[in-house]
Amino acid sequence: MTVLAAPGDTWGIPGPVFLRWYLLAAAVLVVGTLVHRFRGLAGTPVDGTGPLGPQQVAYLNGGDQLAVWTALGGLRRAGVVGVTPDRRLTTAGSLPAGATPLDQAIFHTAARGVHSRELRRDEWVTRALEQLRDGLQQRGLALGPDRRAALRRGPMLIAALLAVGVIRAFVGLSHSRPAGFLLLSLVPLFIAFVLLSRVPWRTRAADRALRELRRRHTWLRPSAAPAYATYGPSDAAMGVALFGTATIWAMDPGFADQAEIQRQAISAGGGSGSSGSSCSSGSSCGGGSSCGGGGCGGGGGCGG
Amino acid sequence: MTGPSPAPTPTDPATGPGPYGIGIGWRPEIAGFVAGLPGLRFVEVVAETVSPAGPLPDGLAELRERGVTVVPHGVRLSLGGAEPVDPARVAHLAGVAAAVDAPLVSEHIAFVRAGGLEAGHLLPLPRSRDAVAAVVANVRRAQAELPVPLALEPIAALFDWPDDELDEADFLTEILDATGALLLLDVANVHANARNRGGDPLTLLDRLPLDRVAYVHVAGGAEQGGFYHDTHTDPVPAEVLDLVGELCARRRPPALLLERDGHYPPAAELRAELDALAAASGYPVVT
Repeated sequence: MTVLAAPGDTWGIPGPVFLRWYLLAAAVLVVGTLVHRFRGLAGTPVDGTGPLGPQQVAYLNGGDQLAVWTALGGLRRAGVVGVTPDRRLTTAGSLPAGATPLDQAIFHTAARGVHSRELRRDEWVTRALEQLRDGLQQRGLALGPDRRAALRRGPMLIAALLAVGVIRAFVGLSHSRPAGFLLLSLVPLFIAFVLLSRVPWRTRAADRALRELRRRHTWLRPSAAPAYATYGPSDAAMGVALFGTATIWAMDPGFADQAEIQRQAISAGGGSGSSGSSCSSGSSCGGGSSCGGGGCGGGGGCGG
Repeated sequence: MTGPSPAPTPTDPATGPGPYGIGIGWRPEIAGFVAGLPGLRFVEVVAETVSPAGPLPDGLAELRERGVTVVPHGVRLSLGGAEPVDPARVAHLAGVAAAVDAPLVSEHIAFVRAGGLEAGHLLPLPRSRDAVAAVVANVRRAQAELPVPLALEPIAALFDWPDDELDEADFLTEILDATGALLLLDVANVHANARNRGGDPLTLLDRLPLDRVAYVHVAGGAEQGGFYHDTHTDPVPAEVLDLVGELCARRRPPALLLERDGHYPPAAELRAELDALAAASGYPVVT
């Protein structure tokens, strides 16, 4: 079939020809992005590289803030962190053996009498979190900024193609040319763009590891009323890492309330971790309390 | 199965499917601790906390996969009630037994409701001939519906009823003889009853049909106000462990189970209690 360019064709390209090439380009881009993404998100299975510690699990499950709560929960269970009546953290005794760099950072920051919500912004803690993150990126479980940027390249090209399509449709419509099929094809392409531009911050290997850990630690679910006195600091920390700060509230409600720890229960399903915010997907801020997302812990009226 | 079942004897401890060695009461609160006991071959689960139709609680399913024997322990059957035992409750116990593939189930010789009122806990029976008849009738009703043997556990009581016609040993022996049921002996109760009501626990041990013991309960308790309370939330006292030793010297039961129902101590203390039980009975340590 030969379609000749007519004088009225937008950009001198007949509609059917443009649409054919447009759809082909869209298909190539979407499939290419999917393949690139599938490969880029695979990650390295945990099996061969040793088990994950609670803080690593926490970072994968809920980012920096959950890693901080996990370390704090473990230190609280070990009895070396407390809280004063004016809601500042204190320390007692010395760090237990086997303390991680993040434990050390939290312990020393707590010793300076900060509020729990300030822990994450402390320089020492920030460095420890970076170290934690780097380790997980090297193990193929978390995605660094470079990898995430690379995974956004495909969606950017799709966005460019979308822009071309929108302009063409606009120009065509303003010249009373039919653009129905083009507009129709823009819809799925836009949906593909939205979905693909959400780049997770952990790999599928990490997803699998988290699922497996949740399955193996159902007894740490706060709803099972775990006997934290029996379990010890590392299990308590794993409880925070997997099931959120609801674990600290269940273990030591007095401390959690006084230290203004944001109440958060992480559902078992777990999201794909597509944002870097403190309330990642898969977690629900507030957990039945009146806390707004992210704004918790400010006025002391949270979950008390 | 109708009428009294033929008297089952405890299975051969080394090879049989029955409970063997040192076990612990499985509770959701300590499920992670129990799962971490490498040598464990036997747990008990409160039957009322398991749904026969639904999936097993997570930790319990894992233990079953490991080949750990799970014995459902009923607390709500009210075998000692004057009214017939509730068929729905028996069916539940039978369902749980099937769900966990249990070799036997256990219940208390006690009543928990009367005239439609729930007592909320286990109440002791007067040791009269009438009570024996009522218990025997209810045990037979339960046995007719249960797919596995039933072990009966006498409970601790702080007092004797004024019109007791039988002593503890005769009362139990009559019930076991008439029903063919097995005995679930609670060593802490033996200690508690002797301590609170007077009497020598060793005399009672000598008179009990120890060959009928399916397994033994051992629990902690505390002295309060001149009485020993079988709390299940305190450490096992030395006197109870001594009594375990005396029992094993007479006839070692196939299995001994540590019961802990709250105020759970650090893992090391629980392990030490299990080890002490293993040492007192000569069974392999499970920790």
